[in-house]
Amino acid sequence: MSDALIFQPKAGKPAPPSTLGVVGWVRGNLVSSLPNAALTLLGAYIVYAFFSAVIGWAIVDAVWEAQNRRECLDLVGRAGACWPGVKAWIPNLIYGLYPKDQVWRINAGFLVLVLWAVPLFLPWVRSKVMIGLGLVLLYPLLASYFFHGGDKGLVWGALIALGLTGFLWSWLTAIAEARREAPLLEGRRRWILLAGLYAVSLLVVSQWVLDEVQTRLWGGLFLTLVISGFGITVSLPAGILLALGRRSRMPLIAAVSTTFIELFRSVPLITVLFMFNTMLPLFLPAGVEVNRLLRAIVAVCLFSSAYMAEIVRGGLQAIPKGQYEAAAAVGLGFWQSTSLIVLPQALRIMIPSIVGSFIGLFKDTTLVSIIGLFDLLSMARAVGEDTVWLGLFIEPFFFVTMIYFVFCFSMSQYSFHLEARLGAGQRR
Amino acid sequence: MSTQAAIELIGLNKWYGAFQVLKDINLRVREGERIVVCGPSGSGKSTMIRCINQLEHHQEGDVLIHGEAFGQGPARDDAIRREIGMVFQQFNLFPHLTVLENCTFALIWVKHMPKAEAEALAMSLLERVRIPEQALKYPLQLSGGQQQRVAIARALCMSPKVMLFDEPTSALDPEMISEVLDVMIELAESGMTMIVVTHEMGFARRVADRVIFMDQGEIVEEAPPAEFFTAPRYDRTQLFLSQIL
Repeated sequence: MSDALIFQPKAGKPAPPSTLGVVGWVRGNLVSSLPNAALTLLGAYIVYAFFSAVIGWAIVDAVWEAQNRRECLDLVGRAGACWPGVKAWIPNLIYGLYPKDQVWRINAGFLVLVLWAVPLFLPWVRSKVMIGLGLVLLYPLLASYFFHGGDKGLVWGALIALGLTGFLWSWLTAIAEARREAPLLEGRRRWILLAGLYAVSLLVVSQWVLDEVQTRLWGGLFLTLVISGFGITVSLPAGILLALGRRSRMPLIAAVSTTFIELFRSVPLITVLFMFNTMLPLFLPAGVEVNRLLRAIVAVCLFSSAYMAEIVRGGLQAIPKGQYEAAAAVGLGFWQSTSLIVLPQALRIMIPSIVGSFIGLFKDTTLVSIIGLFDLLSMARAVGEDTVWLGLFIEPFFFVTMIYFVFCFSMSQYSFHLEARLGAGQRR
Repeated sequence: MSTQAAIELIGLNKWYGAFQVLKDINLRVREGERIVVCGPSGSGKSTMIRCINQLEHHQEGDVLIHGEAFGQGPARDDAIRREIGMVFQQFNLFPHLTVLENCTFALIWVKHMPKAEAEALAMSLLERVRIPEQALKYPLQLSGGQQQRVAIARALCMSPKVMLFDEPTSALDPEMISEVLDVMIELAESGMTMIVVTHEMGFARRVADRVIFMDQGEIVEEAPPAEFFTAPRYDRTQLFLSQIL
């Protein structure tokens, strides 16, 4: 067909300028029609009125130096915030009733946490999964002594040393991988090195003495972080196992998982906390005392695991059956295809709901105040009950709200970042 | 001609609940033989080839792969299944892995092959299906035809002795069908044992040793393509052929 017409595609024309850039966006979204423009103006006015009132109260008209609440009221009345009360209480808001001369231990404990997590963000580190797992499993052992201290028996001492070993090992791995000496940490050498590290840790821990600080003195932001930290790290893996259990073809496992999930999802968290606090001791043999904080942590973990299980199950259901079949067809077994093919895809689409659940959990920890634990919110209430600052409630609550906002907002921002980074396969 | 049967289905019966989807299927596939299976939708052809690698379990009868029966425990079944490669209608590539990782994945995790060796093997197979340049892309960045060729390479990576194709071109745009068929024809000419469920009758004429026609869960007719297309014995086959040709 040599005489056929030759098809020549037309070159693309540029889009009309009025639809592009800032001008195009404003025209399209803010003033596209008269009612739309009016709503834009109204919205702008509401935003302005709200923020000018808040900023006026919290900053412009606020009192920053005063000895007591009376002085604040004499200076500005109720038109401005009275911050000196909050300032005086900041140590309590953060550390609760933790002895002032021991507060450094909390700071040091969190510093260790941050240092331990640093290798996870270094681009050259390859063993991130190992380090992350070590962090989640072993950090609580090490932190327990930082925060609680006191007499450590043989077993607890060994566990603390295990935590210390985990910390040192993570950094050794990170440094070895930075200098490309990874073979140093392979084969039999690795086990010898680990054993040596553990021996050193045991020695260090045996010489390490900290005073006991009972958990009833723990409080404030510190307590909130401890409870929600446990809840978050336990609920995700427990939720995954429960979700797999509920989908299992083995009837006993499926029944146990389903019962657990439905039981905990059908009652409010307050009820669970009360149950664990007041009824659990009745079931335990006389003389066995379970720490109140521990009871709260267990209750929160069980409750959030049940919720997480349903989120994970939803994510698993979104993965097409073909993925399981393709995995089976290339010879992968159940655990391999679940952990390497299905879960990575499911977790990615579940990120918004998982982080939503974490944020909910973080805020729900305020409920532990009803069983007599002094979390961040209860400490804020205590400010207004202090005789010097009697009646000062709004300012501490405002301050605490900001703290909650910072934590929850960072979690949600991090989840967006994760979604974008893990979304590689979905982009066209 | 080898006497060893690569695949043997003996008296296969399968039900979904009370509904019987496969009725007394008997099929013997010699090594190196190419079989094309066709038939109307719901005739049980997909179910039959999915029983061959036990993605679906049958209730009666035996499935023998190189003389060895399925059903001797999960580990043994997984090992038998590794001898069989499968290509799906919907490709079923792993979207969170690159094309190369899709191919090396099972080599590394199932065969415990060192990564470098696995990648070299995967690249050679991606060259065979003519898309080595796409190795570092993700599956969803490729066209349907390219994805299906990756799926073929992924299956070939495990060095299967038998390849099953479940309507490999049915989800493709017309212009992409031939690029996949070309790869399949090459594979057939290299002597691979293949069972292909397809309605591409041109492909059947060119490479099939036998064409099988199924309806209502039964094998109605099986014959070499020349005979099958020119002189079908059953009225049902004649009706089917008159509608698709």
